[in-house]
Amino acid sequence: MTGFVEIALLLAAPLLIAATGELLLERAGSIQIGLEGTMLVGAFVAFAAGRGGLPPASSLAAAALAGFLAGLLFALFAVARRADPILVGTVWNLLALGATAFAYRLAAGETGAVLEVRTLPRGLFGVPDAVLASFLAPVVLHFWLARTRAGLRLAAAGENPEALRSLGLSVVAVRSGAAAASGVLGALGGAMLILTVSPTFVEGVTAGRGFLALALVVFARWKPLALLPAALLLGGVTALQYQLQAGGFGLPYAFFIALPGLVALGALALASTRGGAPKALGSAAP
Amino acid sequence: MKARTVLAVALGTVAAATLLVLLAGASPADALAALLRGAFGSKAAAGETAARSTGLVLTAVAAVVAFRAGVLNIGLEGQFLAGAAAAAAVGPLFPDLPFAARAAVILAAPLAGALQAAPAAWLAEKRRVPPVLSTILLNLVAAAGVTWLVRGPLRDPAGDYPQSRALSDAVLLAPLVPGARATAAVLAALVLAALAAFLLSRTPLGLALRAVGEAPRAARAAGLPDVRLRSGAFLASGALAGLGGGLEVLALTGRLYDPFTAGVGYSGIAAALLGGMTPLGGAASGVLFAALGAGSSALQRDAGVPSALASIVPALAVLGLLLAQGGRTAEGSR
Amino acid sequence: MTTPPFALELSGITKSFGAVRALDGARFVLRPGEIHALLGENGAGKSTLVAIAAGILRPDAGEIHRNEARVSYADPRAARRAGIALVPQHDLLVEAATVADNLALLDPFAPAIESRRARRERVVRLARASGLDLGSPEALVAVLPVGTRQRIGIAGALQTDPDVLILDEPTAVLSPDETAALFRALRRRTDAGRSVLLITHRLAEVFESADRLTLLSRGRTLLETPVATTTTGDVAALLLGGAEATSRPVALSPAVRREGALPALDLEGFAPTGSGAPAVSLSIAAGEALTLLAIDGNGADLLGAAIAGTRPADGLLRVAGRSVAPGSSLAFRAAGGAFIPADRRAEGLVAGLSLAENLFLRRPPGRLTIDRAALAAAATDRLRRFGVRASGPGARAGDLSGGNQQKLLLARELEPLPKLLVAIHPTRGLDIASSEDVRARLLDAARSGAGVLVVTADPEEAQELGAAVRVVYRGALSPPLPPSTSLAELGRFMAGLAA
Repeated sequence: MTGFVEIALLLAAPLLIAATGELLLERAGSIQIGLEGTMLVGAFVAFAAGRGGLPPASSLAAAALAGFLAGLLFALFAVARRADPILVGTVWNLLALGATAFAYRLAAGETGAVLEVRTLPRGLFGVPDAVLASFLAPVVLHFWLARTRAGLRLAAAGENPEALRSLGLSVVAVRSGAAAASGVLGALGGAMLILTVSPTFVEGVTAGRGFLALALVVFARWKPLALLPAALLLGGVTALQYQLQAGGFGLPYAFFIALPGLVALGALALASTRGGAPKALGSAAP
Repeated sequence: MKARTVLAVALGTVAAATLLVLLAGASPADALAALLRGAFGSKAAAGETAARSTGLVLTAVAAVVAFRAGVLNIGLEGQFLAGAAAAAAVGPLFPDLPFAARAAVILAAPLAGALQAAPAAWLAEKRRVPPVLSTILLNLVAAAGVTWLVRGPLRDPAGDYPQSRALSDAVLLAPLVPGARATAAVLAALVLAALAAFLLSRTPLGLALRAVGEAPRAARAAGLPDVRLRSGAFLASGALAGLGGGLEVLALTGRLYDPFTAGVGYSGIAAALLGGMTPLGGAASGVLFAALGAGSSALQRDAGVPSALASIVPALAVLGLLLAQGGRTAEGSR
Repeated sequence: MTTPPFALELSGITKSFGAVRALDGARFVLRPGEIHALLGENGAGKSTLVAIAAGILRPDAGEIHRNEARVSYADPRAARRAGIALVPQHDLLVEAATVADNLALLDPFAPAIESRRARRERVVRLARASGLDLGSPEALVAVLPVGTRQRIGIAGALQTDPDVLILDEPTAVLSPDETAALFRALRRRTDAGRSVLLITHRLAEVFESADRLTLLSRGRTLLETPVATTTTGDVAALLLGGAEATSRPVALSPAVRREGALPALDLEGFAPTGSGAPAVSLSIAAGEALTLLAIDGNGADLLGAAIAGTRPADGLLRVAGRSVAPGSSLAFRAAGGAFIPADRRAEGLVAGLSLAENLFLRRPPGRLTIDRAALAAAATDRLRRFGVRASGPGARAGDLSGGNQQKLLLARELEPLPKLLVAIHPTRGLDIASSEDVRARLLDAARSGAGVLVVTADPEEAQELGAAVRVVYRGALSPPLPPSTSLAELGRFMAGLAA
């Protein structure tokens, strides 16, 4: 049973931290559907750093830096230049997929050998500290949004950006900062995939987790604390599937992966407008 | 798009590609030669390009139809899968009547794609849910659906792999030219692209769609049935992508497996952007992406440049365009 | 006895936006302890002047003095620190957040981290200090009525206890009781030596509650006076006389009623949803024209848009005898309605399409495909007949000048002849010649049998249209006035001063 809890936590953490970053960004009024790409970049950078001899903790930091830059790049296109963030995000995914595959192929050469890196040391509950920190992230975000002045301003950027402008504050600055932060968190999510469960890189290693994280944000109705049960549920179910391993469990497993999507859709249908999404989501900064 | 912008973006992309080739330790000339050979150098190569074009052209056209009407349909991936699943389900049903089987697939696949898009269209008009959110959720549901189908109801009893029952050889579309993979499917895709272009630019319906996409409030105030037009475009977009998925099964794979696409739904959007959001432009870009894909293995094998370059180059080009154009590329979208 | 320094003095202020000169050497003085009203017709420069005073804009020329010292504010925060706060006309609150959170957002002195209790206490403290009812601290702004939201916006600005409080049309959304309460609260501030500047159109309020007034017209200061030494009539005359006089005498014959035809428009108990306006009943016969005259913000625009189906409404609506479901542009047009909206850029034309495409948006010539030759020919012909100056039918609609865009809209809406045409501010922003042309065509339509409803804010235009005039004030309609009614009388109705 201990193995099950461990694995559930390890599986939930990357989703959780990536979703937290995206939630922060969407509350600020932007949207990065290229989260998959950012996670992939984080995963690759962590892998490359590990192959380059860096200890796992430093690989994590390297991934965070890469995510920070990725976030700023996104801000340049989607916030400052005001290109449609959805289009930028779509293309970013394609670019990240190709770029990480390209870089991996260059680094790994032609051998079919599986290259591994060191994983993060285990600690409390049998999981690395970074994993536990991921569970704190939504809590910190909740507190930050609810009680700090900066959090209030960020929420205003996503609900009524004109209000921020009238206060003399820059919506572009707020959203760019959010983009950088969400880039860091997204990349960390990808890095954790590599540095915890399966310490090797393959093309497209994130396998749709970025989109799953996006779904979690909608499922949580843009409230950080609601991310926790959702991610844990997903982690638990996936861990269960690994435990059982039998092929005949195709139905329950697929169903549980579809579940957040279906429930989120249901919630969108029942809610009055926009399903609780920030009013200015995806709008251009005034 | 201004010619100057296009030129700048093209030059920038070529420069970046050259840099990457050099980084891989290969010569740009070798790389280009390998790519061209792999894409057009032989009957098989050209056939490969054509075969890959079908899905890309259809998803690109699907993207254009939706985006021009003001609908940001990011769900093409799921709609493609829905069409493929429908084809895999319906195709094996008439083993002795190939014509009937094909007809069933060609009807079922677009229908499935439209049904996949329908919840998002409803949510957009009745609940003001931005299509990007609902379609991404639907993509996840479709992907999970495929995972389930190939291990459950559609599972091929023969063999151990999770895949659906194969369509019989008689049902599968025959290659146009022996030795090449291309079938009539690619022709169908190109014809549909031409039809879409014609519809958008030369018919009253197309005019109405463009108006709704450009200025939804003005279109409504002018008396156009904007809700019906937008929803119709959304469903048509889903149907086109679904047909793409169905043809993929009917012409190339013969069955459904997991995973099935390599992000063709998203590549279609990129192709549409690169093509200036027009059906013919999108189709041309789709063929270009297909050629790059077809040539990519030769690129890796002969020139030693990782095949992934073929997907980086178009993405850079589109990003360059987005940076240059700034502003809203899909105007009027909600 | 020395006079206390002026709280604020703006002199020689000039500001242009591109080719448009919004302010031209305007002057404005605010004394401590006074409630000062800033008046002027639309486009007179009031909002610009006030934005300069609050540090949102910088003047191109001129000086700002605060308490006799020359100042220049780099941004609104600098002005706020100097004790000047602006409450804009439309509330800038976050609907999804609570009253407490919104006021925290508006508080420049808010700490970086704050407990829920501290935020709640702020609301209580502000409510007490300002005398305004701000609702419950934990209430979501989204569910609060407009009056409360307005008060929250004002309370937000009061947090710095500004010496100079500027309010842009604060009473536009308030009931008479709420207005009285607001003025009481403002008077308490001025009694303590602070100043209040109000932008308003409501002459009644000005004469009841303000100490001094300044009247702007076309970017210049026309009048600066204590309220006590002037009369509503004088001010109204100056206010309305500011509109540019026409060079030709009115020479259009009145529209002729068509007997026997169904009424073009029938309203019974009709009101835009959620506007708080009283239900309206009126009738326009075929071939008759009616002008709705109102100062912006009194609900005439909204009523016109609601009739045309672009805003939700309740009540009975019939066009040419056919019952039309309110809130549906489709149903309105199916019954024979035509509509020229107030905002021709956002709701009128499709800027990215060609002139020909805009003209024949719903029914282009040709059956399956658009007959391009016929489209171009028909468009060219119609453009010529309506006097639209453009390079050709293929030109982009968004590239036309304002006057030509309006004529294009008319060309679209007047053929085929509708049963009812609703036109909102049809000549706003147009030069004299274009305006006269537009008015003539509207009347022609009436003469040809259409019912025509025109919404305008220009009393001279109401006179020129030669149709019956009903003034709209706070959503309520005056009885029909003849077009020969004097400007002064019209002005009194528009200002809500008439019985």
